Amino acid sequence: MVRKWTIWILISLGVLSLLPFALIARARTARTAEPRIHVFPDMDNQGRYKSQQVNRLFADTRAMRPPVEGTVARGQLQEDDHLYRGVRSGEWAAGFPMKIDREVMERGRERYDIHCSPCHGLAGYGDGIVARRADALQEGTWVQPSSLHTDLVRSRPSGHIFNTITNGIRNMPPYGFRVSVEDRWAVTAYVTALQLSQNAAIEDVPEQQRANVQEQ
Amino acid sequence: MSTDNKSTETPFVFPKWVDDLRPLVGIVLGLAPVYIIVLVWFGLSPKTQNIGYSPEQPVPFSHAVHAGELGLDCRYCHNTVEISAHAAVPPTATCMGCHTAIKATSEKLEPVRASSESGMPVRWIRVHDLPDYVYFDHSAHLTAGVSCVECHGRVDRMERVHQVSELSMGWCLDCHRNPAPRLRPAELVTRLDWATEEDREALGARLMEENNINPRTDCSTCHR
Repeated sequence: MVRKWTIWILISLGVLSLLPFALIARARTARTAEPRIHVFPDMDNQGRYKSQQVNRLFADTRAMRPPVEGTVARGQLQEDDHLYRGVRSGEWAAGFPMKIDREVMERGRERYDIHCSPCHGLAGYGDGIVARRADALQEGTWVQPSSLHTDLVRSRPSGHIFNTITNGIRNMPPYGFRVSVEDRWAVTAYVTALQLSQNAAIEDVPEQQRANVQEQ
Repeated sequence: MSTDNKSTETPFVFPKWVDDLRPLVGIVLGLAPVYIIVLVWFGLSPKTQNIGYSPEQPVPFSHAVHAGELGLDCRYCHNTVEISAHAAVPPTATCMGCHTAIKATSEKLEPVRASSESGMPVRWIRVHDLPDYVYFDHSAHLTAGVSCVECHGRVDRMERVHQVSELSMGWCLDCHRNPAPRLRPAELVTRLDWATEEDREALGARLMEENNINPRTDCSTCHR
């Protein structure tokens, strides 16, 4: 025969047994700043370094080691002044070191939108969203980014624009370390197209298209 | 048995009420295995263990401001994501590109300025960390048209990034077995708010056909 007090024990055990589930439910919905507990460590964390991890053997704690200064990887001497520095026989190069086709132009547009438009704006007038935000903050440390449609910028040879992208200019930071050399040339080509798009005469339009443009 | 003189006293006898416990013990022992299995099943599930991890970073960087409000493309900072396995956390130089002129004296940005002066990296804490025996490649997924949002969620709405996906093997395989609903045109991968009126299944199926997307499910795809 089951007595009354054993029923009570059973009920309290039942209630207590729900407690872990309450904790689980909380773990499933709440955010935690603590990393997960590896109940079974398996080989989740192995004695090796992954990208951008910390290795205290080195003074700067980087596990990824930069090459010794002055090291040149095979094929990376970057002798081509035009391609890597935008310079040809001592002057800013006027042309491009590669063939510019639609594919390059599309690539340039995509990269421009990612890296340049935050400040220079999608159309290049120096009114990108970061520029507008910085303006609104009125901190006094911000210099309005250049419009790409001034006579000065229009007169820049492509090598000069390429160099500006690579090394930055005045307040503009350098992009050479994070945009590949081909992409920087593609952006240069797109900037040139953008400038033309905002400063074109009707004579620049192929004759059979002119009527179409004038209509608009 | 005992050698001391107490052994001559009355031996211990279980009191009568112990008999009342017998059905109780039966019930508890009978349910215990089921209880433990269910507890382990839910308690150790990746849904419990992995989702919601949100470490406090050395700098309270807000993706909601940078990627959401300002609408910076993910690749402005995570510039290696399309060409390498690892989506790099940007170097201090990327931060300082803007923050030498914007919020240049902000207290929150002090660790970034210190890093810029000393050359010591900012110790960002990794949120999404796969086991070391998994070889995941960001570039391959982006090329196939799997958006950031499919695994990382709406990072552009997160003040502080938290993990939204299980990142478990079963979860990976769900998509590798049926990728269509998670595919989109590759040029739209960083548009976290992208939506289409087209049926995602149908669109995905078409993209798989056009771009020859056949995710593999054999072991060596991810484990080497």
